[in-house]
Amino acid sequence: MNDGKRTIIACLLTLALSPILTSAAFAQPAAILEHAQQIDQLVARQLKQVGQERRPGIDDYTFCRRVYLDAVGRIPTIDELDNFIADQQADKRSRLICKLLSSKGYSSHWYNYWADLFRVKYVGDKLHHPGNYSEWIKEALRSNKPYDQMAHELINASGPLYKPGNGATGFYAREPMPLDHLANSVKTFLGLSIECAQCHDHPFDDWTQKDFYKLAAFSSKTHLRVDPTPDLEKKKYARDRKILKNKSFDEWIVYRESLRVKHAAIYGNGTGFMRLPHDYQYEDGKPFDAMEADVLFGKMPKLDHKLTKANIDALRKNNFGPQINSRESLADWMVSAENPMFTKSVVNRLWRQVMGTELVGPLGGLTQDAMGDHPELTQQLIAIMKATDYDLKNFLSVLFNSKTYQSKSLALNADAPDYLLDGPIVRRISAEVIVDSFLSLKTETPDRYVATEFRWDGFTHFYDQSQEMGVKDFVKYSTNGPGRGAFQNRVENQARKRNGAVGPKHLWRVSSYGKADRGHDVAMLLGKSDRDLIDGANAEPNIPQILYLMNGDLEHEITTHPKAYLHRKLDGAIRPDKRMEIIWKAILGRLPKESEKPLFSNDQDDLIWALLNSNEFRFIR
Amino acid sequence: MKRRKFIYSVGMTGMSLPFLNANSAAAAAGQAPKARSVINIFLSGGLSQYDSFNMDVDKAVIADSKIIKSNVDGVRVSHYFPTLAQQMDKLLVINSMKSNQGAHPAGIYKMLTSYDPRSSITHPELGAWISKRLTTNQDSLPNFVSIGKGSAGTAGFFPGQWAALPVRNTSTGIDFVNRNAAVKKAKFKKRLSILDSLNGDFDQEHGTKDTRAYVDTYKGSLKFMNSKDIDAFDLENENKYIAGLYDKQEFSRSCMLAGRLVERGVRYVKVELGGWDYHDDLYGKLPSNAGKLDKGLSSLLTHLTEKSLLDSTLVVVSTEFGRKPGVNPNKGRDHHPDGFTCLLAGAGVKAGQIYGTTTKDGQTAADDVLDVTDFNATIAWRLGIDLAHEEKSPSGRPFKLADDGEARKELFA
Repeated sequence: MNDGKRTIIACLLTLALSPILTSAAFAQPAAILEHAQQIDQLVARQLKQVGQERRPGIDDYTFCRRVYLDAVGRIPTIDELDNFIADQQADKRSRLICKLLSSKGYSSHWYNYWADLFRVKYVGDKLHHPGNYSEWIKEALRSNKPYDQMAHELINASGPLYKPGNGATGFYAREPMPLDHLANSVKTFLGLSIECAQCHDHPFDDWTQKDFYKLAAFSSKTHLRVDPTPDLEKKKYARDRKILKNKSFDEWIVYRESLRVKHAAIYGNGTGFMRLPHDYQYEDGKPFDAMEADVLFGKMPKLDHKLTKANIDALRKNNFGPQINSRESLADWMVSAENPMFTKSVVNRLWRQVMGTELVGPLGGLTQDAMGDHPELTQQLIAIMKATDYDLKNFLSVLFNSKTYQSKSLALNADAPDYLLDGPIVRRISAEVIVDSFLSLKTETPDRYVATEFRWDGFTHFYDQSQEMGVKDFVKYSTNGPGRGAFQNRVENQARKRNGAVGPKHLWRVSSYGKADRGHDVAMLLGKSDRDLIDGANAEPNIPQILYLMNGDLEHEITTHPKAYLHRKLDGAIRPDKRMEIIWKAILGRLPKESEKPLFSNDQDDLIWALLNSNEFRFIR
Repeated sequence: MKRRKFIYSVGMTGMSLPFLNANSAAAAAGQAPKARSVINIFLSGGLSQYDSFNMDVDKAVIADSKIIKSNVDGVRVSHYFPTLAQQMDKLLVINSMKSNQGAHPAGIYKMLTSYDPRSSITHPELGAWISKRLTTNQDSLPNFVSIGKGSAGTAGFFPGQWAALPVRNTSTGIDFVNRNAAVKKAKFKKRLSILDSLNGDFDQEHGTKDTRAYVDTYKGSLKFMNSKDIDAFDLENENKYIAGLYDKQEFSRSCMLAGRLVERGVRYVKVELGGWDYHDDLYGKLPSNAGKLDKGLSSLLTHLTEKSLLDSTLVVVSTEFGRKPGVNPNKGRDHHPDGFTCLLAGAGVKAGQIYGTTTKDGQTAADDVLDVTDFNATIAWRLGIDLAHEEKSPSGRPFKLADDGEARKELFA
């Protein structure tokens, strides 16, 4: 235990020199190990109660591969593996965890996770360019922003979409309809599925349609507007818009789009009142009845109402009353440590990411009283999340440092013992992790080109410039500018130039692919989320995917490519057993087994091909 | 009860058919299938109905297009479709299509899934439904193939196996379906045997249904690579006469491939021809795309007729919405979902006729309005699929192939 404590302190000292990590992460190393122990004790107690053996611990090879996959989203390179194995210190696992959580690879891997959950993508029709939104997530990763703060900013964001630093507005802009947005926010942050109650009382849960509308009252009259306000339009822009429209379609489009970059914004912060829909069918209310904001459960925040329900009822039916900043109260309630679902939902999510299975229940389908198969463990993890002040790196560090994590993974099949949340399960790695793991075989520096270093800021840059632009400047830009279609390309190319060297595309982490949603064909084939839905990724095989793995580019990129890192490592090795060892360590992260030694006689490229296609490569064991 | 009627060729205009209740119990129980397969030519971007197949409006609406006669009295088309004009006896023109979506992504989504896009769920495309409902163990080819560059075709909340098999380019065929050129057959076999032994070993300690699904899918992929039907994807194998019906354009070749796949029993082939979104310079840009459709579709109809496949194949030409009756100052037409045009051929459809109208000013669908969901219901019904059948999403919500759409049975003889 003492060794462990020293470890993290030592790690903290090195990190103090690193500009990446300025937060309070790792400030309580003793606490981290103590929390890890709390998990292990609860798991041990549970196993003892049912008379089940504790799972054996894993060797350094297995640990190294597993923690690289879970913390930085790729297999270790052969050098990284060798270095770890060669390390003789007793605290080497804790030190590796610390190193990985402070690395660029962490940002890349977890960018994929949060960008999926928050569904960062183009929404073509409304010209929602996700660059600023994506930048906001990257900044949150760079500064290790506490999760509750992230959630609060996303729920409460308002103002210009492309203003630098204001990218959290992308979360609201993501949804065309306010009620859908509310249902998705609740699913994202509370793990509850209330969308049915949008249209009717929930068939198998507690929520009524009225509950839904009362919750919607917090954010009523919040909306995305991409074009200038009607006032501004009339006063400034309308005349030239009309002239351009009759003159040239292309110029009119550039005028429209460049104005949108300046003016697109989230307006409104909630009136605290909502009205029942025109087709409300239950006896406890009439269509268009005013509903005063109320939470689904827990403590109702105090709202600064200027009008009463009776006042609102007396108004016209599209009038919801004045803005009173009630959306901020919704955010307060959502992310409060007292909200029973907020913390439970995020620990459920992170446990699944790391252990492969849900702690409490389906990610987006929890119930209020669900505590999972091991309620004390859930309770403890909630307490740990709160104790670490929602610091994601610290929380992950606790999980990775636990014996529970560092135990043999369980294959959930018919022969398996009862699964008691006592460690990881065998599971397929995500699409991005598979593709990024290929990088560890192509190059010795697989974390060189990661998304979080690339500033996708074309639109925010234009936004800044546009602050000085009057209507004449927009007309000029539209007439002599880049032309329709090229508008976006131009600002993006400028962003690319400002970023400097971004490296060859085949060495980028998946997270770096520009458009992020359709950016990487192979990752899509392997089940990457298209970010239409929350938790939209899958880990299923399909025929096009397998055809790619058997017959696709891997042959030229890795299997037989003489310059691939793996082959350069093989260059010096002459003896077949030595070559086999290199291939096994590089791809599977372990030494060949005795029983595998007859495979020695095969051609090197055939072995590489077979390992890349094997289940052991794409499953975490 | 609303009366629905056909508008026949001139001599028969006004003659009405008895009303058919599409939602009767008989329909719910399905029917003997009259179509075995569907070829859906999807014109993404929004085909201008007033520059193609709806000529029954005021002259001003037709604008710069010229009306030409077809080989059926009373059925007229625009001069951009001279070849198809000679095949109109095989086509039913539906001029009364209506969608509730006026933007491309939402319109395409609605047309292909029958549902409005929502942020909480992705619905399966028509092709995925058809494949899931009709696939049997005997099929060696997948029953949902999509040809063209667009997004392939989503399985929505169905498992991934029901998504479209994409063929992005007819010359290269299915991506990676052939062994790498440098890997000889014996070497490939060797590789597979190493893989077998590794997977067998891994399975002992770590096997789950997920690892086994991979082993099974490798088997399925190999079966597919080695299937005798795989040569259907290689157009070089088509006989000279049939191949000679088509020109060399990619869309025509896609149509030929669709015909070949249907001949092998594939249930649903989507062929995408995009680019119809002409907000400006319509008459400068339209001719080339219209030419592709004109040639490709004409050749396909001849191909299917020659092979005696037209009776069992429903050819569908659809688009997400139409264009406005007025030409804008940029000489283009903007989106218009109320009263657009789709075509049907084969599988006993009442060919050589026009169904439904728009008002003469082209502003709105008038007689026999056909909602997108009814359109999809009609296709599925003709395949013998029970429209009342429900599939549940992962969260337990029930969905039907065409939502509440009703089959318009009177479109068939």
